[in-house]
Amino acid sequence: MKDVYILGIESSCDETSVSIVKNGTEEIATVISSQIDIHKDFGGVVPEIASRHHVKNITIVLEECLQKANMKMEDVDAIAITYGPGLIGSLLIGLEAAKTLSFIYNKPLIPVHHIAGHIYANSLVKELQFPLLAVVVSGGHTELIEMDKHYSFKKIGGTLDDAIGECYDKVARVIGLEYPGGPKLDKLASEGKDTYKLPIPLRDDSYNFSFSGLKSAVINLAHNEEQRGNEINKADLATSFQKVAIESITSKVRKAIEQNNIKNVVIAGGVAANNGLRTAMKELTDQLGVELSIPPMKYCTDNGTMIAAAGYYAYLDGRRADLSLNSKSQDILK
Amino acid sequence: MKILYIDTSSSFLYTGIVENDKVVQEEKKEFGQSLSEVALPKIASLFKKANIKPTEIDKIIVVNGPGSFTGIRIGLTIAKVYAWSLNIPITTIYSLEAMACSSKNDKIHVPIINARRDYVFAAIYDKNDKELLKPQHITIEKLKEKLKMIKEYEIISNDNFNSFEKIESYNPDIEKIVNHYKNKGNINPHAVNPEYLKLTEAEESKL
Repeated sequence: MKDVYILGIESSCDETSVSIVKNGTEEIATVISSQIDIHKDFGGVVPEIASRHHVKNITIVLEECLQKANMKMEDVDAIAITYGPGLIGSLLIGLEAAKTLSFIYNKPLIPVHHIAGHIYANSLVKELQFPLLAVVVSGGHTELIEMDKHYSFKKIGGTLDDAIGECYDKVARVIGLEYPGGPKLDKLASEGKDTYKLPIPLRDDSYNFSFSGLKSAVINLAHNEEQRGNEINKADLATSFQKVAIESITSKVRKAIEQNNIKNVVIAGGVAANNGLRTAMKELTDQLGVELSIPPMKYCTDNGTMIAAAGYYAYLDGRRADLSLNSKSQDILK
Repeated sequence: MKILYIDTSSSFLYTGIVENDKVVQEEKKEFGQSLSEVALPKIASLFKKANIKPTEIDKIIVVNGPGSFTGIRIGLTIAKVYAWSLNIPITTIYSLEAMACSSKNDKIHVPIINARRDYVFAAIYDKNDKELLKPQHITIEKLKEKLKMIKEYEIISNDNFNSFEKIESYNPDIEKIVNHYKNKGNINPHAVNPEYLKLTEAEESKL
């Protein structure tokens, strides 16, 4: 079969990224322009500021990627674009850029769901095996997705309220860690002891999660200790929180593996970078004799590489969009 | 010489192809929220109707603001990616310049765009489109103060205001705008950016 080169564009949050991937597995070139330092001053991503930076950066990132790959737009077989979910103003910049290139060069336009991208970040490392369970954990998502074959997604569970990454960032703020606090909280958790008693969320038969109760419990605990004049042990609170948060994920993952004859577990999304989660998932899958794929750190944050990788399988699946493709802030992966 | 004109700075899509100083195809229609969905299909259909290939365009003129922040970025992204990828000249103009340029009379032109909370984006131009007040984010009260010194002027806008007696509606004369600005200096596509004329609220609250 002829080699297929996909150009992937990602702009759903605060990273402008373009990548070229060959046959869905071989990264040719990737450029990421991150705005993390800009949003730090505001304690979180400011959508309007993010959009303003995407429009400034888009052609620069495109040019650098093509130069790095030593390719021209004519050499690309199709253009994969994150159409959603994400910040609508941010998504639109990548979308309009992708549509413009598709129009000028008459290249197929492949719509890619952001989460499909995170799942397929794993196929850049190792071939995926089916049936597969994707554990999607990020600032905006906490979902369990089952796949029987390539580019076929079935959501079997998800969070009923906050996403796990969101919960991490909020708890981090309570402990006094600077934005983005999630990774700092993970590091701190490795230094403390499990001394605080926190409720284990949603111990039921579903594959669903809930993190708002856990978040409130930490906030109340910190508040109560403060009122009593006690200083909280930040590292211990981080450890206790992380233990409960991760246990609530692994208990549902265990059930999903056992009940669905899963061969391969993949972790996807920004929280895949969490060391506590990585360790716990490794132990669980080793114990159950299931293949585990964890994306390397560079693919855990948002990037065009994973969009191009997913785009390849979407391309093989015959998925195409025309120039009326629109961005969606919310959309179900299917 | 084929020039592509794009303005998505309001709820309207204003786009056209001008060939040898004559407009050959244009689209001027209100789309509101669906601008991101329709802008490219509509632009593509101009090319189809005019029987011109996208690669045949010699220059792009794009409106870079002020107006709707999201709207500006839609047309501007299309324009800068277009110009960058084909390595063709591109230049930007203000929405307010396009509004003043389209007027048919000899008065002083005062294009205004509603910027909410008693603010407008406004500028003042003489009959030859020379700038008398540079485009800015200004309170209606302050603008009125500046207008007191002008004898005869015309307010141009597609927005509704109670604060002005007479407002001329804006219907862009794409041929006139393109011919007026076609020799304006070109900009490196990477440096083609919106002119919001206003900080984001998050930035303002930091001041």
